[in-house]
Amino acid sequence: MIELHNVTKKFGTFAAVDGVSLRIERGQFFGFLGPNGAGKTTTIKMLTGLYAPTSGSCLVNGFDVQKNPLAAKQSIGYVPDQPFLYEKLTGREFLYFVGGLFRLSKADLRVRIEEYVDIFETGDFVDKRAEEYSQGMRQRIVLTAALLHDPKVLIVDEPMVGLDPRSARLVKDLLKKRTEQGVTIFMSTHLLEIVEELCDRIAIIQRGRIIHEEIQDSRKRENGELEALFLDLTK
Amino acid sequence: MHEILSALNVKSSIFLKGATDFRPASLLKNIASMLISCSVAAGVFLLSRSATVYLLQQEHIGMFLFHRFLSMLLYVFFITVNLGNMIVCYATLYRSEEVQFLVALPFSHAKIFVVKFIDNFFYSSSTLLLLGLALLLGYGSSFAMPWYFYLFTLFAVLVPFMLIAALSAVILLMILIRVAAFVGIRWLLSGVALLYMGVIYVYFYLTNPVSLVAEVMRHYPDVNAYFGYLDPPFVRYLPNHWVAEYLYWTMMGDHARAVGNLLALFLTLAGLLVVAGILARQYYYKSWLTASDGREGGGGISLFRRAGAFRLDRGGPLPPQRDVLLRRDILCFLREPSQWLHLLLMALLLVVFLASIRSLELKLTQPFLRTVSYLAVFLFNSFFVASVALRFVFPSMSLEGDAFWCVRSAPVSLPGLYWQKFVGAFLPILVVSEVLAAASTMAVKEYPSIFVLNLVCTAFVALTLTGANLGAGTYFASYREKNPIRIASSQGASLSFLGSMVYLGCVVAILFLPVNRYFELLIFRGSASQAWVILPLAAVGVLSGIVFFGASALGLLALRKDQ
Repeated sequence: MIELHNVTKKFGTFAAVDGVSLRIERGQFFGFLGPNGAGKTTTIKMLTGLYAPTSGSCLVNGFDVQKNPLAAKQSIGYVPDQPFLYEKLTGREFLYFVGGLFRLSKADLRVRIEEYVDIFETGDFVDKRAEEYSQGMRQRIVLTAALLHDPKVLIVDEPMVGLDPRSARLVKDLLKKRTEQGVTIFMSTHLLEIVEELCDRIAIIQRGRIIHEEIQDSRKRENGELEALFLDLTK
Repeated sequence: MHEILSALNVKSSIFLKGATDFRPASLLKNIASMLISCSVAAGVFLLSRSATVYLLQQEHIGMFLFHRFLSMLLYVFFITVNLGNMIVCYATLYRSEEVQFLVALPFSHAKIFVVKFIDNFFYSSSTLLLLGLALLLGYGSSFAMPWYFYLFTLFAVLVPFMLIAALSAVILLMILIRVAAFVGIRWLLSGVALLYMGVIYVYFYLTNPVSLVAEVMRHYPDVNAYFGYLDPPFVRYLPNHWVAEYLYWTMMGDHARAVGNLLALFLTLAGLLVVAGILARQYYYKSWLTASDGREGGGGISLFRRAGAFRLDRGGPLPPQRDVLLRRDILCFLREPSQWLHLLLMALLLVVFLASIRSLELKLTQPFLRTVSYLAVFLFNSFFVASVALRFVFPSMSLEGDAFWCVRSAPVSLPGLYWQKFVGAFLPILVVSEVLAAASTMAVKEYPSIFVLNLVCTAFVALTLTGANLGAGTYFASYREKNPIRIASSQGASLSFLGSMVYLGCVVAILFLPVNRYFELLIFRGSASQAWVILPLAAVGVLSGIVFFGASALGLLALRKDQ
């Protein structure tokens, strides 16, 4: 479960996020939309502890990210908007590294990494150093890293960037399956068709404020009205 | 030419933007940086002036010997500039993303080379230029030279001298990278390390300062005469010799002979410019491709491709988080050539220092000279610790890099990460500095109490400089910069290094009088109270504690900032 209580983030006098409040229930697939610079990534960075809110609070799985960061982060799997890796480590080493940060045992990790290497078809490059990777390869490694510890909450920022259609399908199916298993997903994206296909609920943010919130229904999915709604609200 | 000027204009605008940033934090950083730079320059000026006066007016070593010492100092300075430029050139000419961007533009490769070389020269040599200027001012003022002497010597002698060092470095680097494609980088790097060690050893072996002093002093008091016949023939072809000769003849009033040496300097500079230009046209792009192939091909320039003992899939005695953080740091270090290569070079210099100090026969019976000798050895050890801390500890937090998100978004305690980095750096630095302190104090056969004083003081220095560099490195962290050399030569790093020098200056100031008094009592009365050793040690401990905790608090506070 994710809760944001009147969260504001200011950089100097500029409010990137301005009084945002949200509550996303367990097992919900939440789509966070907005134009460039609207405050999506800033919100996500506050949820993952990379930014501290100027005011308000972010709770993940009942834990305040600022007051009890270790407990909150233990249940988060995070995919950032840019999949930066340690250039001198191989993909497999990176996965062992992240698994270690979540205190997974080496034996457990060995099994899980092999499993995800098969799912994401990363066997061809997982033992090469990240400095040789393309954007898509990086994205698949970062997605694996986010899933390794079976997080209760997945926070994903533009997860489909750089993925080929086959990998994108894989990711969509995997994320959907996770919500069915009770995982809460908070996804920021510009790809409206993905939101239409996957999300149970959406919110649109503009200039740091939530301007629209709704439960997705099958009618909109069929008619593709989301694009019209988005363009209308953010013009 | 227009493109070069435009590129340089953009670079200078970026620099000026940083220098004229009037936001409180930047302003504070710039003012502190300027204050510390000025204090260090003032210290070097005073040292240079008093050393010149002392050697010429009190010790009466004569103008010839003095300028030969100066020549040796300039040789070391030349090698430092040369080596510094070679290392930074590799980073800026071959590894920078800016070059990748420029190569894709309709911009000739030779022009890219010129822009990056100028950028590189000012980046890597500006601190040394400042120190050189302070030395020159100290030297010239002791001879009461007019203002135009400094201006002329700075621009017509010191800058060309440093340019020769930088150009020879970049020429050698281009050749090395081309050759590396054929012979393999490991052998080549070993060869280069041996070459540098060799040129330092051969120079001091052939110039033989001890026999030079003995030969000149045989003519005492006529020591201001010219004893050029004592110089080994090869020395006459070295730029440091020309600079020393120019200064000698200028001071002796023989301007014709001074100009002769200047001509040699200018002709060499012109020759190197032509050679560098030709090589840049012919080989820069090819050598850049060679370096890129090495990088894209899986980190070809690495001695430790697998590093079995540190593999991340292996278990260890530490808890999982600590274990993977340590293994990652070690693996990334071993796979980054600029890291282990630099460490190797420092280790070699250390071996040379220890070998040299072993052959010293210091039987000093004057308390003052004994104090100076003790503090000189202590300072060398401390400079070594300061250099290692600056080069390897300062960049350690920045090297978390863009991938720091994965640590910060994981359930990892950031203060825990900070202290793990501290312990990981402090332990090896402490061991090496204690071995160095013990070996050097034993080599000069010092009193047991001084031996203990040296060990404890060195431990304080290692603790403080490691903590100070980690704190400053975290405060000035640049997560976007991937190159550890550039991080260790950034403005924040310069500030940290100059701060370390101020700290070491304070330590020496605390130790000087009590240690001198202790030696006086031991030499003239045969015994001395241990209070002369313990009290300054306690003072050094308090000072070190203040610096250590202050810097650590700064670093920990900076870790809380948004990434």
